[in-house]
Amino acid sequence: MAERYSSFTPGGTGWLLQRITAAFLVVVLAFHFFQLHFITHAADVTFAGTQARMEHVGYFLTMVLFLVTATFHGINGVYNALVNQGLDGIQKKVVLAVLTIAGLALIAQGTYVALVMAGWA
Amino acid sequence: MSQSYNRGLIEDFGRWKEFSAGMWAWIFHKFTGWMLIGYLFTHIAVLSSAIAAADGQTIMLEGEAVNAYTGTIQGLESLFIIRVLEVGLLAVAVFHILNGLRLLMVDLGIGLEAQDKSFYASLILTGVITVASVPTFMQGVGL
Amino acid sequence: MSTQQQEPDTDAETEPEEPESQEVPADQEMSGLASPQQQRLQRKHDGMAEREREAAEDDLEGDSVHIKVFRYDPEVEGKQEPRFDDFHVPFERGMTVLDAVIYARDEFDSSLTFRHSCRQAICGSDAFFVNGRQRLGCKTQISELDQPVRIEPLPHQEVVKDLVVDMDHFYDQMHAVEPYFQDEDTPDSADLEEQRQSPENREKIKMSSRCIWCGACMSSCNIAAGDNEYLGPAAINKAYKFAMDDRESEEIKEHRLRIVEQEHGVWRCQTQFSCTEVCPKDIPLTEHIQELKREAVKKNLKFW
Repeated sequence: MAERYSSFTPGGTGWLLQRITAAFLVVVLAFHFFQLHFITHAADVTFAGTQARMEHVGYFLTMVLFLVTATFHGINGVYNALVNQGLDGIQKKVVLAVLTIAGLALIAQGTYVALVMAGWA
Repeated sequence: MSQSYNRGLIEDFGRWKEFSAGMWAWIFHKFTGWMLIGYLFTHIAVLSSAIAAADGQTIMLEGEAVNAYTGTIQGLESLFIIRVLEVGLLAVAVFHILNGLRLLMVDLGIGLEAQDKSFYASLILTGVITVASVPTFMQGVGL
Repeated sequence: MSTQQQEPDTDAETEPEEPESQEVPADQEMSGLASPQQQRLQRKHDGMAEREREAAEDDLEGDSVHIKVFRYDPEVEGKQEPRFDDFHVPFERGMTVLDAVIYARDEFDSSLTFRHSCRQAICGSDAFFVNGRQRLGCKTQISELDQPVRIEPLPHQEVVKDLVVDMDHFYDQMHAVEPYFQDEDTPDSADLEEQRQSPENREKIKMSSRCIWCGACMSSCNIAAGDNEYLGPAAINKAYKFAMDDRESEEIKEHRLRIVEQEHGVWRCQTQFSCTEVCPKDIPLTEHIQELKREAVKKNLKFW
């Protein structure tokens, strides 16, 4: 049945990226939780406070990168979970397209929100 | 031999009592993963109130007009259920992080013999961190 | 319709091979307990002593063992709907699950069907689902199990009859990784002596070469159950055995990596360790799959 396994390799890059984003997210997610629940309490968040944080280019870039990697990690994770369940054919293509669009929309919306918070849009 | 019997996905969920550590780790990791991606969408939606706030829109919070962003977040944070859900979110995120570290080690081929112990360790640590964080998360909210 | 092929009692051993050829005495030239082989033997020894102590403790001698066996036969009216049959088998010291079903077949119901051959964990025919776990019938002591002992065919495979499952898909996946030695530049026949392997390399692939194709790992794998195209632990382990063998050339290794790095190859493994836990030959399957993932990534990084 070797013929079945004779096409281009889509798995390897995704697998590696999933791990690289994971390593990044571990650090940033821990930082994010710490920042917004222990340093600043979530209940005390104000628009002015958020604006003050987002105006720092470093913080802004970290948050946007956080959004992009988290979205990739999450969307890719969901897609893989479905492939593991035996999703294939047309259904698989449709699911991939829907997930990609949802992910891109999330990144676009999130980046726009971050720009607004920083006062650059 | 024209016929055979398909037992279906026997054991997959009906036999959960017999699952081993690695299987539980996978189930929890997957479950927490679904929660986190779901939350990410919600999170961006809530934060999108910043767009309205930048536009100068206000909403009423405890009788006074505040900007839409502050009002939305503080309004949500004043709800007891939201605080409980936040503690849940913390537990989910901490487990996903700790078990994620475990999985990264497994991917690097480090400590595969101890994979069950590291799973139990991440479970216990998640519990400890979550319980220890409850006072901080519940600060200043009434039932 | 083929049922039982041989009577186990008449199938005498023809080869005068000495048993337990793996049992090497401690006083050999390899130094101390340092080598993995020595460590394995030590563990095996300890385990054996442990088991003997346990067997002596809960002496079931004289008792009977209650087994519940899955029954199904599409050609017999009363058995088309799967059911469990109860058998009470007289216990003997050292009795295995396979011994118990053989007794049940020989003494109670000759239509009870299951595969078995060597009875010493080499042929790989008698993997069953015993008390909720994939085990090799001939390698599982009845005394270690809770009663009643529930014996079922391997899950995630079609049941042909009683404990016999359809192994075709498993064999297809095994063959898909080209499980045979390949070498483009075999030395010229004039100076063809031996193709030697270094002891270190032998040690590296040793565990992977112990596979007996019993299918327990594949049956235990949650992903293989969902994704029918997934190569599965046994086939990937087989690919590992050849890919890691230094006697094959680099090109062949790359060819092998290309087979396992398909979408339904190594990447599907979710490191649940189910296969590693059920493997009757103690092959570290997950470890091998992980190593192939890293090898595949490394190979691709080289080309970027």
